[in-house]
Amino acid sequence: MSKHLYRLAPLVLLLFGVTAMLQARDLSLGELSAPGPGLWPFIVASLLSLTALVLLVIDDPADYEPWTRGTAGIGLGLVSLAVFIVLFEQIGFLVPATLMLLFWLRLFAREPWKWAVPLAVIGAVVFHLLFAEGLGVPFPDDIVLGG
Amino acid sequence: MGIADGLGEGFAVALDPTNLLYVFLGVLIGTVIGVLPGLGPTATIALLLPLTYELEPVTSVILLAGIYYGSMYGGTITSVLLQLPGEAASVVTTFDGYQMAKQGRAGPALGIAAVGSFIGGTIAVVGLILLAPPLADLAVEFGAPEYVALTLFGILLVTYLGTKHPVKALCMAALGLLLATIGQDSITGTGRFTFDQVELFDGLDFVAVAMGLFGVGEILYNLEKTEKAEQIKARIKNIWPSRRDFRDSSGAIARGSVLGFFLGVLPGGGGVISSLASYGMEKRRAKDPSRFGKGAIEGVAGPETANNASSTSAFVPLLTLGIPPNVVLALIYGALLINGVQVGPQLIDTNPEIFWGVIASMFIGNLMLLALNIPLVGVFVQLLRVRGGILAAFAVLITMAGVFSVNNDVFDMWVVLAFGVLGWLMKKTGFEPGPLVLAFVLGSILETNFRRTMLTSDGGFEVFFTRPLSGTIFAFMAVVIVYSTVMGIRRRRRGRPAALYAEQLEEMTPGAEDEGAAGVAASGGATSSAADPTDRRTGGDRP
Repeated sequence: MSKHLYRLAPLVLLLFGVTAMLQARDLSLGELSAPGPGLWPFIVASLLSLTALVLLVIDDPADYEPWTRGTAGIGLGLVSLAVFIVLFEQIGFLVPATLMLLFWLRLFAREPWKWAVPLAVIGAVVFHLLFAEGLGVPFPDDIVLGG
Repeated sequence: MGIADGLGEGFAVALDPTNLLYVFLGVLIGTVIGVLPGLGPTATIALLLPLTYELEPVTSVILLAGIYYGSMYGGTITSVLLQLPGEAASVVTTFDGYQMAKQGRAGPALGIAAVGSFIGGTIAVVGLILLAPPLADLAVEFGAPEYVALTLFGILLVTYLGTKHPVKALCMAALGLLLATIGQDSITGTGRFTFDQVELFDGLDFVAVAMGLFGVGEILYNLEKTEKAEQIKARIKNIWPSRRDFRDSSGAIARGSVLGFFLGVLPGGGGVISSLASYGMEKRRAKDPSRFGKGAIEGVAGPETANNASSTSAFVPLLTLGIPPNVVLALIYGALLINGVQVGPQLIDTNPEIFWGVIASMFIGNLMLLALNIPLVGVFVQLLRVRGGILAAFAVLITMAGVFSVNNDVFDMWVVLAFGVLGWLMKKTGFEPGPLVLAFVLGSILETNFRRTMLTSDGGFEVFFTRPLSGTIFAFMAVVIVYSTVMGIRRRRRGRPAALYAEQLEEMTPGAEDEGAAGVAASGGATSSAADPTDRRTGGDRP
């Protein structure tokens, strides 16, 4: 089974394509002489499904990279980004940015704490000044600045 | 407007202090990210897209163009000194450049690359001036069928040229076209694939998609192969090449300029293909081909000239037809659309300041690069001490803050994150984000013109083939498909990869990034590096 695991990617694409084809049909295809809103999406979704189907058969397993410990690290990094977005909406830029930088500097750059902490704090403040003050981007109210 | 008037206006625009500053910033950023591992021109331009909202359209193109051709210079430095291409177009330079460095001739290798790049870039600017206006005049005659033909041609060539698996690339192009249909139908106003989400009514934001796929996706992919900072061993001295070096490489530079120019104009062409083609040409022409791979200066001069020439001439199809020939140009095209500039044959007439201003800025930018590179190589090399992880942390934060600044909408941050995950997964599974983004950008042009054609032709397809211009383009497409299929089958019979240049791409180092099909290099090298993940930075002795 596991040697066929790589076929998952084309399979997902195939399902995606077929779903889009069905959805496009519901949008009304119209006629070729008077195309409806669904016609073009239907055509490209068919192309997607067709190529995905071909790939399901012919794709080269060597293209697929193995999952390693590094992959788990990327997963953590992604979760931290999601947390950043949620916190950013709630408490503004400074705190989440500092935390995210700190996390990434420790996790990916393996910086020692004595470098990671100042880098993260300075980085967050500089970006805040750049975007909020310099470019006038209205970040959500910041818990630190008491906005 | 004549060429002389146009150039006059162009230099007036380009020499404006603000624009001059942005040319300088562009080429400087380009050189820096060309040197830095893990951040290539596509990722950088994607990350900086939000900035273009703050700038005049001409200034933003000047900046982004500077980053593009500047990165071609920067990539050379690491190729020569470390056998580590900063971007994919410099892969070929590692063959002979690194050997020169080992023989203590790193200086002349870098010097001839800078001089060759300058000459190539300048010749391509001249070519652009001569070729673009007549092409734009021709393009004014274009109707809807021609635009269908041209966009399809562009997408087709990007999927066929320089990609490892044409079917996979085609699949991604189809996905890009499908994603482009999200939002309100431009003709009937019906919401498509919006799932009643207000945020999706206007479709996916191009900036967010590009930043996710190229910015975050690239960063994540490179992070997974975290490596330590690099030590430079080669000493750099005597950068200015000797008279003999110039004599040896003058032919290669001349041929590289012309070759690069024409390959750059071609959709799907660009830096990688031109540098590979130039290397092949020089090796075939050489009296003693065995010198190549052992430090032949022509092997550095030719490809470096060609990739710079092509990065300039790639602007021809964009500025005259409104068709971006590769992914970097697709991003620049996106930046212009964001600014409300209609890109197409009428651009030269409606926005002469953009057309001529960008051309003049390229000449100035190439001059600046020459002035920057010769004395400052030593400084740029120090940048290699910056570790990938630190760079990634700050780049991701800039991405998030940047994409928020576009619409002041947290939803776009989620789009970036989602497409970042998608981009990373695509690279891990050998699918390429390049065709997807190009198709996404061209999707609405293609659909609108297709439907317009269908309406006027009463549903008949023969109009595509009977009109002389679109008929010619379709005939050309048929030739490309038949030729590459036949070649693919023949190669497969001999047990070689199917795609054009796949063998050369196979040798590329992962992590390097290409403007034509970002991810090619990475997926090409993935197979070889899977066994030994540390191989990437240690630079095993390749032929």
